[in-house]
Amino acid sequence: MKRLLVCALVWAAAGCSADPPEPQARSDVQKRTLVVFATSYPLAFFAERIGGDAVEVVFLVPPSVDPAHWSPDAETIARAQAADLLLRHGAGDPAWLELASLHRDRIVDTTAGVRDRLLPQQTAVHQHGPEGEHSHGSWAGTTWLDPGLAAAQAEALAEALIQRRPAREDALRANLAVLVRELEILDNKLEQAAEALGDTPILYSHPVYTYLQKRYGLNGRSLVWEPDEVPGERQWRALRELLEEHPARVMLWEAEPLPETAGRLAALGIESRIYTPSANRPQDGDWLGAMHANREALGAPPARP
Amino acid sequence: MTGPLYLAWCYLLFHRMKAGILVLSISLIAFLPAGLNVLVGESAAQLRARAEATPLLLGAKGSPLELSLSSLYFESREPASVPYNEVARVVATGLARAIPLHVGFRVASHPIVGTELAYFSWRGLELAEGRLAAMLGECVLGAEAARSLGVGPGDTLVSSPESVFDLTGVYPLRMRVAGVLAPSHGPDDRAVFVDVKTAWVIAGLGHGHADLRAAGSAAAVLRKESGPEGERIIANASVKEYNEITSENAASFHFHGDVSSYPITAVLVVPPDDKSRALLMGRYTAPEEKVQVLRPIGVIDDLLGTVFTVQGYVVAALALVAAATFATAALVFALSIQLRRREVETLMKIGGSRSSIAVVLLAEVIFVLLCSGVLATILTLATQRLGGAAIRSLLLS
Repeated sequence: MKRLLVCALVWAAAGCSADPPEPQARSDVQKRTLVVFATSYPLAFFAERIGGDAVEVVFLVPPSVDPAHWSPDAETIARAQAADLLLRHGAGDPAWLELASLHRDRIVDTTAGVRDRLLPQQTAVHQHGPEGEHSHGSWAGTTWLDPGLAAAQAEALAEALIQRRPAREDALRANLAVLVRELEILDNKLEQAAEALGDTPILYSHPVYTYLQKRYGLNGRSLVWEPDEVPGERQWRALRELLEEHPARVMLWEAEPLPETAGRLAALGIESRIYTPSANRPQDGDWLGAMHANREALGAPPARP
Repeated sequence: MTGPLYLAWCYLLFHRMKAGILVLSISLIAFLPAGLNVLVGESAAQLRARAEATPLLLGAKGSPLELSLSSLYFESREPASVPYNEVARVVATGLARAIPLHVGFRVASHPIVGTELAYFSWRGLELAEGRLAAMLGECVLGAEAARSLGVGPGDTLVSSPESVFDLTGVYPLRMRVAGVLAPSHGPDDRAVFVDVKTAWVIAGLGHGHADLRAAGSAAAVLRKESGPEGERIIANASVKEYNEITSENAASFHFHGDVSSYPITAVLVVPPDDKSRALLMGRYTAPEEKVQVLRPIGVIDDLLGTVFTVQGYVVAALALVAAATFATAALVFALSIQLRRREVETLMKIGGSRSSIAVVLLAEVIFVLLCSGVLATILTLATQRLGGAAIRSLLLS
């Protein structure tokens, strides 16, 4: 009788316990395309290049909008919640990432392993009420303008993909190796371009070239000028004052400045060049193509005054 | 029905008041211990089920019962908090998943539970309508909370201020309802779920305010200074702070200081197997450890042990009452026979034998006991059938 009871209990326990997934089911999960939600175009590009057909990259920032200043609606966040992985830079990320409800264990902070190489962002510190001083800034973004950092981010991304698709490890590592090699070539060429520029003082239309400056030792100063706005007289006055201590002959713009602005700069002996951070998908080509175009713009010798 | 039985049945029907009282007294005294047993058993099962489904809890050192009750049932006094980085610490061990819980605020009588998306899938909670919270300031309601508050997706709720007299305390936050969960017949049904970051906003650790660099805030700005770390803006307390997070002002919300030091009530720790659980518990046994990791089922079993001890005393007391009731019933029957002496004599004169008269009297007693037994059984079965729902509503209220 006791034996029967024990057998019945064992049978009931076996019947009640959750069955482990069938090998076929596990295999199907491994074969399923990984949905990767990218918060900027460089990360989307890296994911596409490394993941190949193993991933479906979701990058929903509308064209011509800076991903750092984009705010998705709730439905878009729901898509981010449903993704297998969410890629973030960990530096200069859009504010919505901090405010959205997301699966913490699906977020890949691509600069987590290179925190010591991140640079601080300059922001306004403020104080109101009894809470003391605080600011809303942290690390400077556009880390990918340093190809070395971009490679580190690509490696972090590849590790996350491999963790979820170990069966595809060889292909993922091979794709990563190709991408890293291309980044090394870009880095070498940028180094040559920076050498050609030498210690020439340059200007940046926005403080988004922090990593470029640090990596290649550029002698640049940042303004806050919008390419699609004509600077006011106060800004021109501030520029003239700045030129007295920093006689720049080249100014890097994120996008084509208005002809009026470029003309007035030229009159001051400053050549306008486009060095797009490519945070969003370019109209033509891809991220690497845009970076090489930047490199050519940087490496051109300054026009004679 | 044979003659003596028919006579006994007619007698009981004729004296229906006396018979009814006897049946009710006996059935109630038989039902009480059985009913109590069913109710206590059902309560225990429901308490244990929730505790059993929660492998480990991490919280501040102190009362394990308080930690368990506040984290599992969102009841009890709020225990001391632990820093949010305890979540990362558990994850870093590689031995378990970790889900933060922040319990402490309320909407009317409903607890606001700050957590993460993983909570819903782990507890097996499903949406009945709407979607899960996507942005700061959104909430998802348990089925009972939605019903009693009379709100649904798209409506708003306001968190209750901690004290109306504490002007510097926690300000209410208007939250948008993103979705409503399907009934789960547990404490989750009456909760208002928010992202843990929203709970921190309610706690005043994060806020949104007008842009101090905007022209509209000029009146609040006391002075601006330029420093090596950037521009410094000093403003007075008149800066407009938002008490509702909308798509227009969401970007202005931010947190001060190190978020990893922010308070949470507990961490739900979900190891994949017993070995990981044992290893993880071993990592938190050092005397200098400021947090405790406990198995909720152990805590709840201790609590139920006390409840069952008390139940034993109550059953013993009921047994005494039952003995007294049966003695009284016996006395009632004995006195009844005394009072019916002339009736018995009449039965004998019309030819009734002593044995058939004894059968009539005995049948009356048996009928009363049978009716009592049937009534007590019906009551016990009804308690068994309806007790679960009653206990659930009692636990939810």
